[in-house]
Amino acid sequence: MLSHPLPDQRPAGTGESRRLAALRRYEALNLPSDRAFDRIVALAARIFDVPMAAVALVDGDRVRFQATHGFDGLHEALRDSRPWACAITHPGPCVVPDVLADPRTADGTALGPLGARFYAAAAVTTADGQRLGTVGVLDTRPRTPTADQLRALEDLAALVMDELELRLSALHTLAAERRRRAEAERLARALQRSLLPPALPTVPGLNAAAAYHTASADEVGGDFYDLFPLDDGRWAFFLGDVCGKGAEAAALTSLTRYTLRAAAIYDPDPRAALANLDAVLKGEYQGETPRFCTAVFGVLDAAPGGAFDVTLAGGGHPPSLAVRADGRIEPISTAGGQLIGLLPGPRFVQTTTRLRPGDALLLYTDGLIEARTARGGLLGEDGLVRRLTARAPRSADEVLAVVEELVTELGPGVSDDTALLVLSVPPDNLSIPSHSQETR
Amino acid sequence: MTDRTLIVDRLQHPSGVVVLSVTGELDQHTAPEFTRVVEESPFGPDRPAVIDLTELTYCDSTGITALVVAYNHAQDARAPFVIAGLNSDLTRVFQIVGLDQLFTFRPTLASALGSLERSG
Repeated sequence: MLSHPLPDQRPAGTGESRRLAALRRYEALNLPSDRAFDRIVALAARIFDVPMAAVALVDGDRVRFQATHGFDGLHEALRDSRPWACAITHPGPCVVPDVLADPRTADGTALGPLGARFYAAAAVTTADGQRLGTVGVLDTRPRTPTADQLRALEDLAALVMDELELRLSALHTLAAERRRRAEAERLARALQRSLLPPALPTVPGLNAAAAYHTASADEVGGDFYDLFPLDDGRWAFFLGDVCGKGAEAAALTSLTRYTLRAAAIYDPDPRAALANLDAVLKGEYQGETPRFCTAVFGVLDAAPGGAFDVTLAGGGHPPSLAVRADGRIEPISTAGGQLIGLLPGPRFVQTTTRLRPGDALLLYTDGLIEARTARGGLLGEDGLVRRLTARAPRSADEVLAVVEELVTELGPGVSDDTALLVLSVPPDNLSIPSHSQETR
Repeated sequence: MTDRTLIVDRLQHPSGVVVLSVTGELDQHTAPEFTRVVEESPFGPDRPAVIDLTELTYCDSTGITALVVAYNHAQDARAPFVIAGLNSDLTRVFQIVGLDQLFTFRPTLASALGSLERSG
């Protein structure tokens, strides 16, 4: 190998531009000086029994040291300064036993800042043959390395390449993981939006307001609500909560919401709608971990004097609260109604109430009443009723505002998603709702 | 998640009752552990199941599913199934979801064991 003339060390042609492109890929690693390379240079120095060794990446006109042994404070050098870059263009290891005795390098400048008489370097080469840099050893005395030593130097250069590949692949994995996570969060938010009606429809003679409070930004919860017209001109609504979190809960929420809407068209009887949902969920999750939800489903019938009769069926859901025009809070309980989709032959309980002008009906999911108060206890239905009694809200918007204020106060005490739907009859309501159109 | 927030102890009472004592939180992270112990439990007509929840601090919807799965497991084995020591907050939750119609509750482990001995 000593018979090879030392090639010109200047960049040349497209080969050099491909090499630099490859270098950029690995430079993106922004390599800190690090223990793995430190060990490699220490090993190189020991194998050759020389005082100095280094791992260097060779740029267009500069050599940047990634790890050094036996000299400090030199972080980069001109590419011209041998020996670091010679292995980039030299086939096989580049060896100069004595700089001063070699006619190719005999001018004194070749000694470089470290005063190297002897040097040997092996290229750090990518799988596709691009030489990114070198592992080199130096001595201030002339030397003749053995073939074994030079083979070891090539092995060490290959080790540096393996380490670079490992880090690049780790970086790619990390970047891909970040992209996947960002995408998953975007999908989760899109899914969440798709599970709720984009805006509540306008129902003649009725005010409606709704809100969805998420407890966790990165976990899709499973609360849902809807307000929609039936084929016969009446209106129906539902609100509920599916078990679990994340993508599976979102799928269940979607299935539940569309099943309830479809069921209502088929048979608008509230209890029948829940029974239908129960059958669909059991069919869907047969043989798997059972999945269930709790829900209230109601149908609104126009009543004399601008009032509405509400027929409400519940399965495993906490009582809804009627906020009466005179300020009384009256639980509209479907107690006894059982979880939907989980139990053999579940019971669903139906009740009715009349919403007169000035009355409101609040539906909520258990995230609200199971929230922890500052004192450590659960808010409970009692706490919610006390707050509504104290504030005496008068419309759907006011009831929603009172409850949202409470949710904000509870802050991290609300550990589960909370859906809220409020319906109210305006105090002066005289309109007879019939065959109205859904407007969105 | 390596934090263990649930411990399930299984104890075979001399009378044949199999007691599963649940300590900690029963949620989506810990429910599989509970279900594993349930599935390994030798419930049967002469080996009634008592799930002691005296030391249960938290139970979410996944925990409720796990308890219903345990109930079904006991039903399949024709074993009586009793829940002992449920705190008042969780009792209210179980009432809301209608599980009070499915499960038999006893205020303490001792009263659960007593009731099974009397009926046995």
